[in-house]
Formats: sequence, structure tokens, C-alpha cells
Amino acid sequence: MYGKKVKLRILFLSLALLAAVLTIFLILKSLEENVVYFKSPTEIKNINELSDKKIRVGGLVKKGSILSSAEKINFVITDFKNEISVSYKGAVPNLFAEGKGVVAEGFLKDRNFLVAKKILAKHDENYMPPEVKKALENN
Amino acid sequence: MIYNYLGNYSLVFCLIFSLIIFFLCFKSINDPRKIIEKNIFSLLFLQLLTIIISFFSLIILFVLSDFSNETVYNHSHTTKPIFYKISGSWGNHEGSLLLWLFVLVLFIFIFSLTSKKHPKKYRIFTIIFHEIIVLGFIIFLLSVSNPFNMNYPIPYEGLGLNPILQDPALAIHPPILYLGYVGSSIIFSSALAALVQGYVNKNWASHIKKWIIISWIFLTLGIMIGSIWAYYELGWGGFWFWDAVENVSLMPWFCLTALLHTIIVLEKRNILKSWTLILSIATFILSLGGTFLVRSGILNSVHTFANDPSRGIFILIFLFIIIFLSVIIFFLFQIEESTSRKTFFLSKETSLIINNWFMMYFLSVVLIGTTYPIFLEVLTSDKVSVGPPFYNKLLIPFLIPFFVVMAFGPKLQWIKTKFSKIKYTNFFYFFISLAASVFIIRYSEAKYLFSTAIFVTSFILLIKTIEGFFEKKNNFSQKLSHFSFSIFILSILLNGAFSTEFSANMKQGDELNINNNSIKFINLKTLNKNNYKTVITTFEIKDKQGRILKFNPEVRIYNQPEILTSEADIKSNIFSDKFLVVNLLKDDGYFNVRYQVKPFMSWIWFSIILLTIGGILSFFRKI
Amino acid sequence: MKKKIIFFCVFLSFLFIFFIFFKSIYNKNYYTPQEFTKNYINFEAKELFTKKDFNSNQLFLDEKITIINIWASWCIPCLQEHKYLMNLKNNNNINLIGLNYKDKENNAKKFIYKNGNPYDLILTDNEGIISIELGAFGVPETFIIQNKKIIKKYIGPLNQQNIIEIKNIITK
Repeated sequence: MYGKKVKLRILFLSLALLAAVLTIFLILKSLEENVVYFKSPTEIKNINELSDKKIRVGGLVKKGSILSSAEKINFVITDFKNEISVSYKGAVPNLFAEGKGVVAEGFLKDRNFLVAKKILAKHDENYMPPEVKKALENN
Repeated sequence: MIYNYLGNYSLVFCLIFSLIIFFLCFKSINDPRKIIEKNIFSLLFLQLLTIIISFFSLIILFVLSDFSNETVYNHSHTTKPIFYKISGSWGNHEGSLLLWLFVLVLFIFIFSLTSKKHPKKYRIFTIIFHEIIVLGFIIFLLSVSNPFNMNYPIPYEGLGLNPILQDPALAIHPPILYLGYVGSSIIFSSALAALVQGYVNKNWASHIKKWIIISWIFLTLGIMIGSIWAYYELGWGGFWFWDAVENVSLMPWFCLTALLHTIIVLEKRNILKSWTLILSIATFILSLGGTFLVRSGILNSVHTFANDPSRGIFILIFLFIIIFLSVIIFFLFQIEESTSRKTFFLSKETSLIINNWFMMYFLSVVLIGTTYPIFLEVLTSDKVSVGPPFYNKLLIPFLIPFFVVMAFGPKLQWIKTKFSKIKYTNFFYFFISLAASVFIIRYSEAKYLFSTAIFVTSFILLIKTIEGFFEKKNNFSQKLSHFSFSIFILSILLNGAFSTEFSANMKQGDELNINNNSIKFINLKTLNKNNYKTVITTFEIKDKQGRILKFNPEVRIYNQPEILTSEADIKSNIFSDKFLVVNLLKDDGYFNVRYQVKPFMSWIWFSIILLTIGGILSFFRKI
Repeated sequence: MKKKIIFFCVFLSFLFIFFIFFKSIYNKNYYTPQEFTKNYINFEAKELFTKKDFNSNQLFLDEKITIINIWASWCIPCLQEHKYLMNLKNNNNINLIGLNYKDKENNAKKFIYKNGNPYDLILTDNEGIISIELGAFGVPETFIIQNKKIIKKYIGPLNQQNIIEIKNIITK
């Protein structure tokens, strides 16, 4: 029917296609498993079901809330509407401070308490709200 | 003040020159003469000159701390050391784009001088395509991110004293990375020109190969310097975090590495033409797309840049004009693949194609991981982040077959290799590697089977690359690069397997015991420096053998802007880095202490430098 | 034919990517907290010249409208809005409080001597803590407070229109 060359080419093409489909499937599958959702304290207050998946909570570190002991650090993340307590064991990044932006990654124990495994602080210190920035440019 | 006008108007002149070059190039296409008119060269030179003037005026503005310039005001300060004043000029958004433009124009000028052997029309088209990019950047600079905006009233002092950004590695990181990015723009425009002119052949391949090697060298070095900075300055002790901003520089690297290997096939065998073109185009689009993602601030990253959307929109539209232009050209012009010559399965070509497949796989993993959160947020408004587990899970298993191919691929011959040629010494190598791996795994806490496999393959790779040095084939640069890559992989693996970490909150005088090591917080003293206060702490670490090491990590408190930074104390020798960093939590006496032992850290940096030396050698090698 | 189909597929997928990126540019940055609606404020601060301590409770006692303006001598837009603030000076219906944000004392005083003092009272916020307590992101920002509640907030320098708005609120 078909020549040997054509057959080989069809085989090769279908193999490549299969590989591509498998790759996409594999990537999407592990994306599903390894994605970490980002929530604000308010969003956490409003979620229906607590899952045991890893989660990120972002906001500001509440003023006067950092309590440190030999073992761990406790602090409160706030978005000015709601708050969530965080307990963390380990090293904190440079820019972690009261009143500064922070993202804590870890597991929710309940709607008010997060056990963090990792703390990220925002790197760019010169944050300015866009409105101010714009005003500066119009100057 | 005067430099503001000088810089601004030379940019305007650059725009005008760019338009004239367009006009002359289109006129020149239909000119039957074989050489390019002299005035195109002189215009390219003038264009370069205007950019140099503009770029140096910005540097002078920074050096003089002339706060009538808005960029200087936002990113500089009178008390900054002179070195950081200069580096500050390209450390910000506006300046970095000016640097992009500078390198773009410089490269096209060099290109037009060094391509005399090639057909005139191909060169003209390259200049045309390149000037489209140049034009886009000039308009972008002049419209929404002009580095020469003026401030009135003139402020007394600047805002930019961010101490985290005052660092030698970070000062040279952007220019080197940009040389890599912009090098890919030459590849892009010359690929399109070759496509339009039907010049995709061996000559073109050996000509553009030099440019590929140059951009590859700079991109590799740029990525390395960035991760060195992250290693000692961010205080996390790691050197790669799979952060979106880091991924963005890695993606063109995968593409360029694939291209580096494909171009050899094209040069030697005159096949894989369309694939080479796709890679050439993709590399530049990924570089430009990376700039867009970083500068528009849509990435969810710890290195976020505050930005206003109009800039993002501009780069986005420009990026997609470039994409659609190249897609249309790619589908409009026919590429003649020479199909006559046969290729057998066991050959160098196949191994290089397999290398490409792996690179494409790595690229798509990183690409999807980086952009997935953006897509998800728009489509479902869920905010997510993709972390290291995703990349580790998808990349590391595929390294095993990749190493095998890399170990044996370069030994194969073009067109066809006989199976009988494969020697039995390989079995011997396999057993040596197996023994070494089992030995290593026993002393680490890694997972047995999986880690053994990856160690075995990387040891085989190492042995095969060493073996390569004793073979007669005269391709030293390739051997060196592959050898240093295997060292690189092994040091990362060993680093991962044997790194130990410990962290606790300690007060002065505390002593803790961990795994027979003891760590003691001896004292701290506070010093007042020029623009910061520093708390220098002293720690003593006693290891199992009773040797004592002293560490003096610092916490610095800068004024204006008020920033806390930790200066890690790193003791490095050939075999390992010992890394101690402290962090001040608040004024209650507790310090957050983190101690890490990272074996083979310096080997990682050393091997990358060796890798680029391989690239440099191959650049100077005669074909 | 086949080529055309591939071309349109590629074209459409890039168009889709363009659309996604376009939309995401306007999305808010992840780490910025949500809009501020806090209704009780409490802080203590020192006066700039007299160094006397003030508590927020004694400032916001009555029905009178209090305006808190966050400023600094190093902030250029602050200078720009200063002339509008001078407009509100000596208005008996309001209590205009300046909050000096992360500033050097001498520079702040110089600024006031040079440009005039529109404020009834200047408090200092050297560490920026009060500003965070108020929910400010940067300088300048202006808060209008009545019955211990923030009823209006302006981010960035005030302009003529804002001043008219504020005057309307006062006369109500």
C-alpha cells in the first residue's frame, strides 16, 4: 500500500504527537497537585471548606504582633478587614518586619490560624501606589 | 540640566536616523549594484553615536546627582558610592531600556561590518528587520518611559538608596544579561532575512553561529551572576528558587542552547532548516516576552517591580506585533528542505535532535509553570503560585535519560554509526558509577532508587566527558563545555544531597546542640556607619572533631529609606560553604539564626565559568 | 491548505495569549492589601515643635471634623498640595493635623518656616507606624475623620477640586 518511507514517517509523526500529548498531560497533572493558592485573610474567612492543601496568605504584618521565642515566631497577618495568626519555625527573610508586606506559605489549621512553612517578604522596597506615581509624573 | 536635553534630543535624532535607514534600505533592495551604499553604513554609525551620547548623558546625570532628572531622583542619592551611581543608571526601568537600545544599535552596526561575504539583499533585510525592533524601542522610550523626564522644583535629595540593590554582582548583572538577550535579536532579524531571501543554508549557519555563541555566553554568565547575588544577598542560602523572574531568564537559555546544537546540524548537513528558524525566532520572542513579563509587573514574584500599566500595554502590543510579523513571514515564504540525503537512527543528528526535544520539554515545563498563574487568574480569578516541587517533579526524572543521551551522543558520527563500534568499556564505566553512587547515597538522606539512577547517569556522563579529552577528535571547546556541564550537574546533586540546615531563634549567650555540632551566640556589638547602623554578632560553631569556627554575620539598619538587611557570613573552601545568617526580629533580644553547610557551592560557580570558557573557545575556533 | 489551517491555529492561539496578558496587566498586584475601611483609630504621637505627647482620643473627641494630612519635607508632591492646604488654614470648622512622615526634624521645621504652616497641630511619625495604623500607603495622603471614623481618604496630592469637596463636607 504505502511505501516504507511513508510508513516510517507516519510512525514517527504519531510518536511525536503522542509524546507531546503525554507531556502536556503530565505537566497539567502535576500543576494541579503542586499549585499553591493565594488568599487574603478576608478570603480565608469566607471559604466554605478547609482543605489540607498548602496555601499562601498575604497581607501586612500587624503592628506589634510579632512574638518570638527560642522555638518559633508568631505574628498576625492583616488586610485591615480581617486577621489571621501565623506560627512559623525557621528563618525569616530580610524584609520581614512589622507593618511590611508579607506572604506566608503553609497549612491552615482553622480559619484563624496558619502554620507556616515558608515566609516571603516583598523584595521591592520602593512601593508607591500607582495614583501617587502618576501624580509624580504629571508634575 | 544640559545633559537632560542632550540625552533627550539625541534620542529623537536616533528615531529620525532609524526612519531614514528604512527608506534607504527599501530603495537599496531594487538597486542592481552588488554592494550596499556607503550612506547606510554612515547612518548606522550616526545612530550608534546618538545612542552613545544619550546613554552617557544619563550616566553623567547620575554621577553628578542631578535631581532635575526624574530617573536620577527616583533611583539615586548623593551619599551613594560613585560605582553604584554609575550602575544605578541601568539598574532602573528607564535606564535598562536605554541600555537595551544601546546594545541593539551596537550589534546591528557590528553585524553590518562583519557580514561582507554574504549576499547584499540578505544583509539589507536583516537591517530592515532589526530597525523595526530599534524603532519600537525608541518609541517606547520616548513615549512612556523617557529616562530624561524633568522634575520641577528640583529636589535636594534623591529617593534611591535601596541598599539591597547596592551590590557589585547586581551592578553588572543587567548589562551582561541584556547582551545575551539582545544578541538573540540579531539572530532573529537575520533568520527572518534569510527566510525571505531563501538563504537558509550552510553559509548562513556558520555565519550566524558566532552570534548564537556570543549571546549564549552572555546569557549564561548573566544568569549565573544573578543567582550568585541571590545566594549571598537575599540570605536564604539557596541559589535558585524557581521564582518567576529567574525563570524568565532561563527560558531563552533553553531555547538558545537548543539552537546552539541545531545550528551545527544545519551547518554540517544542511537539514532541519525550518526548525532552526523556529528556534531563532522563539529565542528572541522569549527574551522580549521575558522583559515584558518582568517590567509589566504582572508576575507574581518576590522581585516585583511597581509599574504603571501603560508601559506594560506598550511592550505587550510591540511584542505581539513582532510575533505576528514573524509568524506571517514564516508561513508566507517557502523553505526548501533537502530531503534527498538519508539519516540513520544511530547518528549524531539524531542525538542532537533528541537534545532539542529535551530542551523543548524543559522549556515548556518552565514556560507553563511561569505563565499558568497569569492565565488562571484571568480565567477564574484564583491567585496561585507554582513552587519548586512542581519543577523538581517534572524536570529531575527527565534528567536521567538526558544525561545518557548527552554522554553517548557526542561519540556518534554523522549520518550513520555502526552499532558494533560501541565499546564494552562502557559496562565498566557503568559499574564504577554505580559503586560511586551507592557509596554517596548511603551517606545522604536521599531516596534510594531514584537518586541512585540520577547519580549513576551523571557519573557516567562525567566519565564519558573525561574520556573525550583522550580521543583524537579535535573539538576541544565542545569537550570542555560538556565536561564542565557534568561537573555542574554533579555539584548541584551533591549539594542537594548533603546540604544541612538549622535554624532557631537565639538570644545572646545561648548555646544549642544539633547533630553533635554546637552553636553558641557569643556577643554582639553595635556600630554607627555613614548611612547605616550595624549590629555585628559573633557566633562560634564547634563541629564533631572539636574544631571551632567563628562567624560574624551582620544586621544592618539603613536610614532613608529605612531598610533592614542581613549580611551573611560565608566561609567557603574547596569542598563546602558554611553559611550563617542572622535576622533581627524586633527589639526583644531574639535573633533569627540560620546555619547552613552547603557542599560544593564554589564548584557550581566554577563549572559555569568553565562552561562559558568552552563557549569562548568555540567562538574563536576556525570552522 | 494544511499550511493555512496551521497558520490560523497559531495565529488564534497567540491572539488568545495576547488577550490574557492584556487583561492581567490591569489586575492588581498580589501583595497589596484590599481597600481600607477601618472605623476605629488609636495612636499616640509627639508634637513636632513642643514635643508634647498627644493621644488620638483627645484629638477626635468632638463632632468637629478632623483632617489628617501625611506629609514629609522630602516629598515633592507635598509641596505642590501645600498651597491648597494653606487655603484651609484658620478654618474654625475643622481641625487640620499634619502628620510628618519619616522625616528629619530640622528638615521638617525648615519646610514649615519656608512654606508656611497650615496646620493646627503637627504630629511626628518617624517610624511610619501611625501611617500604617491609618492605612496609608505613602506620602502624601489625606484622611477626613469624623466621630473617630475615617469618612474620606485621598491618596496622592490634593488639588483644587479636592479642596472644594472638603469644603462641602465641612459646611454640611
